[in-house]
Amino acid sequence: MRSTDELVDRIVSSSKIPARRRRQEIRRELCAHIEDFVAAARAAGHEQNEIEKRVLASFGDPEQIARGFAWVYRYQRRRLRAIAFTLSTVLLASCLLALALATQAGLAFSLGRPVMKVIASPHMAIEALDIVASVAAYLAVASLENIFASHRFLKAALTLAVILATLVAIDAAAGLHMALPLFGFATGIFFRAVKLFVTPTVARVAIVVVCFPLIGLGLALLRAPLSLPALTSMYASWLVLGMGYQLMTHLAARLDAALMSGLERIHAGY
Amino acid sequence: MDIDSQFLKGSIGLLLLNLLSRKEMYGYELLQEVSRRSANSFEFKEGTLYPALHQLERKGQIKSEWRRAENGRERKYYALTTNGRSAAAKYEKQWHHLTGAIAAILESK
Repeated sequence: MRSTDELVDRIVSSSKIPARRRRQEIRRELCAHIEDFVAAARAAGHEQNEIEKRVLASFGDPEQIARGFAWVYRYQRRRLRAIAFTLSTVLLASCLLALALATQAGLAFSLGRPVMKVIASPHMAIEALDIVASVAAYLAVASLENIFASHRFLKAALTLAVILATLVAIDAAAGLHMALPLFGFATGIFFRAVKLFVTPTVARVAIVVVCFPLIGLGLALLRAPLSLPALTSMYASWLVLGMGYQLMTHLAARLDAALMSGLERIHAGY
Repeated sequence: MDIDSQFLKGSIGLLLLNLLSRKEMYGYELLQEVSRRSANSFEFKEGTLYPALHQLERKGQIKSEWRRAENGRERKYYALTTNGRSAAAKYEKQWHHLTGAIAAILESK
């Protein structure tokens, strides 16, 4: 029966149950239930059309049933999301870090500086931390958007900002003086905003080629005056990193979907 | 008589564990048993029953097994675990205590 098949499809697809095998099992169980229902209704002399209506009425709102299943399997879903988030952050941050290292090494080589000294510098460690924070912030905002129904980016970004402000407050209150990569977090939120609100390609190119490197140069110049070769190499490294971030915004959702799909398939908590 | 769903919500686990302590049953059979034993006073909806069964299974109070019936239809049978048996006894005791206390209040002058 088409209408009852659609009913089961809607329940299973909206249930957000992480394990694919579990979803198949629920489909099988609900179909078996409908078979019993139909057989009993036929035996009682009801017509086919009436039986379908009775099945639909007995089940009620499929979205409500799906919410019931979603609640039961909420912890598994959150666990998988956390694993996918961590894997995505590690993979994307590793790629961006490799890109940043290659750029710095190339620039050091071309300027005749010792490559290893540049790569192993404290500046590179700060940049690595910023890259990880940027990717984590980007993915965190994208994930948080799913829990809001309206003004999703704004609410997600504000939620993340509140979390970060709390971390800063704890850091200050406890006197830990940890090097929180706030610039990295801001970069992640910035690129999420670009991904969502800047649609023309020209504008995106302008952001990567002009705006993003200029922010970096401005921040560097605030700390100390720089020579022209140093400014040029810094612009180049920010340009490459900006291109890397732009690429990340294209890959993040696909990677996350692929990881979730793979995790759902192999999920042991069936 | 229509029963407020909030009343029923907290007692679904108790009802299912109690019914399954009598014999192993599948979902449709459980719905029929609830209707029959309550003389159609209340009926579970599928949307209430199946998430509740899965929740009990996740808590380790019931276990399930697919079996093929004589008519060829496959059914998923639920049975109590040891943990479920002691939970059923505990909930039943709590229920009697609670309903006794509520009745005492309602009937008091």
